[in-house]
Amino acid sequence: MDEDMSNSARRMSTRTRRVAPKMVAALASNDNRTQAVLARLEALENDNPGLETVEVNDDSDASLDDDDEQVKRQSKGTKRKTRQAKALENAKKAPRTFHELLHEANLESLPRHVPTYLRAAVGPPSSVARRHFCTVCGFSSNYTCVRCGTRFCSTRCQNIHNDTRCLKFVA
Amino acid sequence: MTVVVLDNGGGLIKAGIGGEREPLTVIPNCLARPVSSKKFLTGDQLLSPTEDLTSATVRRPFDRGYLINPDLQSTIWAHLFSTLRLTPSHSSLLLTEPLFNLPSIQRHTDELVFEEFNFKALYVADAPGLVHLYEASRRPYGLVSKSQCSLVVDCGFSFVHAAPVFQNFCVNYGVKRMDLGGKALSNYLKELISYRSINVMDESFLMDHVKEKLCFVSLDVQRDLMIARKRGNDNIFKCTYVLPDGVTYTKGFVKDPAEADRYRTLSDGATGLHTEKMETDQQEHEEKLENKNKIDLTKNEFSLTNERFLVPEMIFRPADLGMNQAGLAECIVRAVNSCHPHLQPVLYESIILTGGSTLFPRFAERLERELRPLVPDNYRVKISTQEDPILGVWRGGSLLASSPDFETMCVTKAEYEELGSFRCRKRFFH
Repeated sequence: MDEDMSNSARRMSTRTRRVAPKMVAALASNDNRTQAVLARLEALENDNPGLETVEVNDDSDASLDDDDEQVKRQSKGTKRKTRQAKALENAKKAPRTFHELLHEANLESLPRHVPTYLRAAVGPPSSVARRHFCTVCGFSSNYTCVRCGTRFCSTRCQNIHNDTRCLKFVA
Repeated sequence: MTVVVLDNGGGLIKAGIGGEREPLTVIPNCLARPVSSKKFLTGDQLLSPTEDLTSATVRRPFDRGYLINPDLQSTIWAHLFSTLRLTPSHSSLLLTEPLFNLPSIQRHTDELVFEEFNFKALYVADAPGLVHLYEASRRPYGLVSKSQCSLVVDCGFSFVHAAPVFQNFCVNYGVKRMDLGGKALSNYLKELISYRSINVMDESFLMDHVKEKLCFVSLDVQRDLMIARKRGNDNIFKCTYVLPDGVTYTKGFVKDPAEADRYRTLSDGATGLHTEKMETDQQEHEEKLENKNKIDLTKNEFSLTNERFLVPEMIFRPADLGMNQAGLAECIVRAVNSCHPHLQPVLYESIILTGGSTLFPRFAERLERELRPLVPDNYRVKISTQEDPILGVWRGGSLLASSPDFETMCVTKAEYEELGSFRCRKRFFH
């Protein structure tokens, strides 16, 4: 695609030549948009975002490691662990996400007729038509933000969107 | 010997003794730490009315419906068994597991059951089979028990399964799953409210409550959106939820339950509605004005309109959210179509709804409206709801545990030690 574009660009007007790279960038940003959507969906499975991961890990790390070290010093008197070793141990201790476990189970390698987690998914809907709701007020929306692709229904909502959310999800 | 029946869900643990009708306890399957304390609370502590769970940090042993953190689960179970005064080493366990559990998770579960808690024996059941068993026993002459098959639609905390059941066994090649459950709905509501009125991103428990109290399934989304757009008193979906302030009340509540219930008048058609409206118009208008003033002054309440039905709407159209998955009705159709053609008419006629997310008002009605056009004309569609969808699976388990052959179906601790996890699992056929 890119090569074609550059070749044909020689015969284009100056304006097209100037716009072409932007178009390419816009196409690439489409991918950003899907990624933003995926990230949003992922966020729906979070428990208590932000706060939890930072605080809990810090707390448990501190307490657990202190305990371990105290016990070790008392019993064996072995030398202190390096930071790297600690990090490795923490990585082992930390619970893995379901996706990691799923990847490990290697379900793709099973023969086609075996029903697995992957094959039980419903799959895409039969009709591609989707309804759009305004991200600001929730009513059906007719317009798309040209910069980030989220939907809004009116100028009022567009202004709110531009002030608060626009491009926050992308990049 | 007692049999402990444990429906170990991603959201709630239902625990009790086999043979009884009600479980001993239903607790959230998580640990939570309020901002004010350093200790994580578990089980019944979370349910006590005095506990202030505002902005509590939550840790769950389940991720996307599967057990990922056995250590956390062991803490929760240990607390559970000690509060219920159950002795694992003298009893056997009936445990529910999600469908298509991964082998590594099964191994961890077995280790937990036999090595940490020393249960005498274990039976692992799947939810659809138990629901079918319970429904069949409730109506011995109904279609479900006569034909010995049913389609169990389990809308749980982490996902929705449409599972055909035949002869008490879940037909595993027919099961279809949507990756969307009560947790995603709560989080979606959380996101909407946080953007539109007040930041509640950390209030998991509160949002669960808002969802349970105020959300409902719309029968006609376009019409309801039009109504939700109206101003003032004509907008029968508008209602206010009061947030806890930590002083006078620690739990949130619906400000005016009568106001919140007004949407129920809608189903019969809009004509009778208007006349009723006119009479009470003036009084309520005055109240409205007061309410509005209060909202501005105190800032600890928010009002909902279209969010109330757009949130459960996701189950029916996940594509609206950008999720590349079919809705619930289509999910059911695909599950049925993957079964033998002779089973299909019977399956459509014995759809059983279970799981906490089916508790939204009018869920079954809407599902029937969506499903009917997709099913061949000459088949009947019958959707039955369970009397208590959250406990349906547990009651089935309790029934199974009290059956005479239960002992022989179990894997005992000795067998586990002899054969190991993988071989023992072969016995449960899933």
